[in-house]
Amino acid sequence: MVVFFKRCRALIITLFGVTALSFLMANISIVDPAEAYARNIFLHPTEEQIVQIRNEMGLDQPLYEQYIQWLGSSLRGDLGISLQTKNTVVSDIGQKLPITMQLVSLALLWVVVLTIPVSLVAALRQNSWFDHLVRVATILGASLPNFWLGFLVLLFFAVTFPIVEVVDGNLVSLVFPSLVLATPLASISIRLLRATLLSNLNKDYVTYAKARGLRNGRIVWGHVMRNSLPPLVMLFCQYIGHMLAGSAIVESIFSMQGIGTHLVDAIMARDLPTVNGCVLIIAMIFVFGRTLADIINKRLNPRMINRDEVLYD
Amino acid sequence: MKEVLKVSHLYIRLKRALDQPIVNNASFSLQKGSALAIVGESGSGKTLTCKAVMRLLNARQFNISGSIRYNGMDLLEMSEKKIRALCGSKIAMVVQNPMTAFNPTVKIGAQMAETLRVHQKLRKKAAYELGIHALERMNLPRCEQLMNSYPYVLSGGMLQRITIALALIHEPDFIIADEATTALDVKNQQMVLEEFEKMKRRGIGLLLVTHDFGVAAKLADDMLVMRRGKIIERGTVYDLFSAPQQTYTKELLDASMLRKEKCM
Ligand SMILES: Nc1ncnc2c1ncn2[C@@H]1O[C@H](COP(=O)(O)OP(=O)(O)OP(=O)(O)O)[C@@H](O)[C@H]1O
Ligand SMILES: [Mg+2]
Repeated sequence: MVVFFKRCRALIITLFGVTALSFLMANISIVDPAEAYARNIFLHPTEEQIVQIRNEMGLDQPLYEQYIQWLGSSLRGDLGISLQTKNTVVSDIGQKLPITMQLVSLALLWVVVLTIPVSLVAALRQNSWFDHLVRVATILGASLPNFWLGFLVLLFFAVTFPIVEVVDGNLVSLVFPSLVLATPLASISIRLLRATLLSNLNKDYVTYAKARGLRNGRIVWGHVMRNSLPPLVMLFCQYIGHMLAGSAIVESIFSMQGIGTHLVDAIMARDLPTVNGCVLIIAMIFVFGRTLADIINKRLNPRMINRDEVLYD
Repeated sequence: MKEVLKVSHLYIRLKRALDQPIVNNASFSLQKGSALAIVGESGSGKTLTCKAVMRLLNARQFNISGSIRYNGMDLLEMSEKKIRALCGSKIAMVVQNPMTAFNPTVKIGAQMAETLRVHQKLRKKAAYELGIHALERMNLPRCEQLMNSYPYVLSGGMLQRITIALALIHEPDFIIADEATTALDVKNQQMVLEEFEKMKRRGIGLLLVTHDFGVAAKLADDMLVMRRGKIIERGTVYDLFSAPQQTYTKELLDASMLRKEKCM
């Protein structure tokens, strides 16, 4: 119970911190949002028009007051009105988020589907040609920039060999963007899991399990794999938020209307309510990922819960 | 006397250094109900020899030749499936470090039950009950609670009793104990030695690896001295203690005596 409260406190502090920071960053930027917005509406705004907009948007008040006001209404589920689209920020996000969520979910699925078998085979056949191949591929995958890989895929499959509709609205069209998005995480995960698997495979309990008569399959799936998962779970769950934030590049390459491009557009247009709303949602998903990782890891590793259990002799 | 294990011309080499065998032409045999002690300095190949018998060495790393016969079968030629079926039932092991022998994230009961269930057709519940009986026979307290514990809450002595209970469950023909007392305190060492005595009386063969000549003198009938992968001297415990032929054996004995005296 105490742990639960501590966790909640940490969550709330994180959300406060992130949103306050995003507020601050937007306001210390040299561009005056009211002026920028005014230029959007009127080609040559007069001084009065800018002042009027500033008052309407509440930008004339001190920063902390703006923040408190925003916080109060966002606690009531109201994130304000988008300056660009004139819709509520919530409804805009509600429209864009599912697209990105589909993309990210599919990417995460790729990561799982690739990481577990590839790192297992690489670990079991350490220093085989397969292991070497995986090493080279994962170094490349982790260091290639997303936009470059994205353009390469686009060039290859949409221009040179247009076998499928790369840019479209259905699930098939998500395959390439999600693969591109999955590549860095999959590469890091494979390296991480391979290393933890190897260290577990060399432990005494594996030797003794064989001596007890357990076959390799049972040892791997019943013991070694589950003991190797915690670091991977942590990485994986933290990366959910990361991917969401990083989806902008992939989305714009593959012309998708997700939260990533939405956020970038909003930043370009100084649409502060949208920026703050998106940051809040992404931060919430970040925090959710971390919590999820903690919960799963506590299940996987009982030592994290009952440290104080009696040692009897 | 019935022979339960016969090792002939065993060579173990690292695949990346095939010209230097780590175990070099080792031959010995183990009789039913008797104990054979292997002594020798660190790195002489005792553990590798034991592991070769249970086929615990990574085949991608080690090259093993010679023969290891059990009941007319060559353990080295056997399929992986068959050798695993023998290990933990007819050929059992008592570990060197009981604190790290079990998977720390799985309860003792689950690990015992899974061991029972790979060797015989049993329901989970029946396996748990068999496990509890086996622990009770080892005079462990509160066995049901023990089955529900994680390994890291138990002491080394208790865990070693559990590995002994597991080793005995399927009435093995012989047991391999590689320094099974080294990691334990004096009281628990005594307990383990007593259990080994009982095993011998039940007709189980014992292959003991030890640094402790006291343990060898107490339990073993025959003894092998290994040095740099070779068996350099062999004989009954009595012969080796009273009239060692090799200077190396004498040195080992002297070193052991000296250690004893210092401890006293
Ligand atoms: N996995 C391995 N890779 C390379 N060399 C190894 C490996 N395992 C053992 N060796 C080498 O084989 C030799 C024999 O090792 P072994 O573990 O059998 O010695 P030991 O007689 O049991 O020694 P100790 O008394 O210290 O337990 C050692 O020189 C060791 O360095
Ligand atoms: Mg050893």
